[in-house]
Amino acid sequence: MMSRFPLRARVMAWFSLVSLIVSGALAFATWQLATGYMIDQRERSAVAQAAGNARLVEAALRNDSPALRELLTGLAAGTESAVLLVDDGDWISGGTLVDPRRLPSAFLDMVQRGEFARQRTVLDGVPVLAVGLPVRGQAATYVEVSPMRELDRTFRFLSWTLVLGTLASGLAGALLGRWAAQHALRPLRRFTDTAAKAAGGDLGARLPTTRDPDLESLATAFNDTTERLQHRVARDIRFAGDVSHELRSPLTTMLNAMSVLQRRSADLPAETRQAIELLATDLRRFRRMVDDLLEMSRGDQDTDRSTFELVDLAGLVRAVADQHACASADTLQLTAHPWVLADRRRLERAVTNLLDNATRHGQGLVRLAVLHGADHARIEVDDAGPGVAADDRQHVFERFARGSPAERDPADGGVGLGLALVAEHVRHHDGRAWVEDRPGGGARFVIELPEVTP
Amino acid sequence: MGTRAAKVLYYAEMTTTLLLVEDDTRIRSALRLALADEGYRVTEAATGEQALELIADGTSLPDVVLLDLMLPGIDGLEVCSRIREHGDLPIIMVTARTQSHEVIAGLEAGADDYVTKPVDAGELAARIRALLRRVRGSGGQDLAIEVGDLTVLPGESRVLRAGAEVPLTKTEFRLLYTLAVADGAVVTREQLLERVWDYDYFGDTRLLDVHIRRLRRKVERDPGQPELVVTVRGVGYRVGGSARP
Repeated sequence: MMSRFPLRARVMAWFSLVSLIVSGALAFATWQLATGYMIDQRERSAVAQAAGNARLVEAALRNDSPALRELLTGLAAGTESAVLLVDDGDWISGGTLVDPRRLPSAFLDMVQRGEFARQRTVLDGVPVLAVGLPVRGQAATYVEVSPMRELDRTFRFLSWTLVLGTLASGLAGALLGRWAAQHALRPLRRFTDTAAKAAGGDLGARLPTTRDPDLESLATAFNDTTERLQHRVARDIRFAGDVSHELRSPLTTMLNAMSVLQRRSADLPAETRQAIELLATDLRRFRRMVDDLLEMSRGDQDTDRSTFELVDLAGLVRAVADQHACASADTLQLTAHPWVLADRRRLERAVTNLLDNATRHGQGLVRLAVLHGADHARIEVDDAGPGVAADDRQHVFERFARGSPAERDPADGGVGLGLALVAEHVRHHDGRAWVEDRPGGGARFVIELPEVTP
Repeated sequence: MGTRAAKVLYYAEMTTTLLLVEDDTRIRSALRLALADEGYRVTEAATGEQALELIADGTSLPDVVLLDLMLPGIDGLEVCSRIREHGDLPIIMVTARTQSHEVIAGLEAGADDYVTKPVDAGELAARIRALLRRVRGSGGQDLAIEVGDLTVLPGESRVLRAGAEVPLTKTEFRLLYTLAVADGAVVTREQLLERVWDYDYFGDTRLLDVHIRRLRRKVERDPGQPELVVTVRGVGYRVGGSARP
């Protein structure tokens, strides 16, 4: 089953996830080690300090000094700690910070039993460390409660750092994933571009040869396929060209014999004259078809651009219109004067064929315009016909694309190659030809050619 | 119909003779019949050898040669060059090929114009008429025109350099004359195709390009650095030097 997400997103997600897990684990380990070590250090120093203080208290107790309370207060002030002394179950407190009864009971039990004890806890929102030491030689225990604000701040900072670091690492993972996916998909994108080009009709499109074993077979298979296809298409075209070529000679004989006959048709019986007219009409069509086919096969073979010259497109269109019956002055819109590099004869043929098409299938020409496009020169041929259905718009430019033979008008002289030749010639000029809807009904055939500055 | 009949009559009076060189018997016969209908006298040759013999014979030199390029034995290009070696007999090549380099090769060999098969007599007649118009005098002025060190004599269709004749075909002469008459002004490619060959806007530019090349080879001191027939890029040509009527 195909995933709902595109490959790129999946790669990104995986990179991000793995990166999060790894950096999360590292962060967790760091936290454990660092906090454990720091607490340990803090406890050690607290115990050492408490042990020292306990000795002072022990001395004071031994001498039964009356200054015990002052000593405790002093110690409490010096260490920023609460200092307590449990003597026979009574609490003597130095400093008022801590009420001893709020310390955890397990700790208090141990202290009251006279054992060494230490305990971390939180009092009034302040983390504290309580250390209890039996006072040697006395039935008393010295307790010191010191706040761990400093350590707490450090921990908080550390935890934020680690969390943010983990998140940043996840993000970096996602970016890395994106880059990697893009990098890995680059050959695929090239493949897509090439395939699109081939699908668009450029059968000369090939994938670059690669030594990458993952791509080599794909590239080779694709190149072989397009190569075979190209050969086949070329063979078909050559065949059509060869056939038309062979038809030239008999056609020349027929055309000239026919003109001799037609010249004398006035002297012939009516039936014979009629038969000759029928023959002559179809011979003209036949000739046109052979001409078109030859033109087509020549266009397929002839790739040289030696006949290209700078052409004023409006001038060319005007010259075509002057020769064409359907184009009147009020249909012409030659306001722009773009220059193109063109084979004049071929371009003339393309425009003539569009005008023929407008006359035959479009119920007459409505507008013939030359315009500037975005760095392209445009020719627009608008007709008054029913337009071309969206499904047929590509199809009409194919060879012999027309209605069934029954629908053909034998007198129109069209052989179904006109628009194919338009497409052919325009492609030869690195241009595009297509059909769209004319605003207000009818079809609009457009030729777009690269514009040049003379 | 009336004008056509008049033209036929006009040329019939001049009894223009065509030499039709074509190896395909059926095409040759059909063309002979149809061209005869157009008012021409047609001599036939089935091979290049035959055609060259007829011309070398010299008793009845044709006015125009219609030359098929694909011939058995000596091919059309060879025939064309050999005819050119002997003079400026107008040649229209009739070719089944339309590939650029083949057309260009034919024109380089010396043809004045070309038509592609399938062709009918009417189209051929139009090309022949245009060609004969260039051959039979330029009409208009007879005053000599000087182009650089060349003297163009329209009346005699000749070009002299320091008193010696520069051998040009009628088409080459017509081309030079058309440029010379413009007196240094630019003549566009379309105008040249129209004035020299009677083509409309869509004449074959290869025709012009090859003839310009041929003309330069004959009149320029250094055809690679033309000084008399100067290209005006993207527009056309003009005569260089000082062109004075």
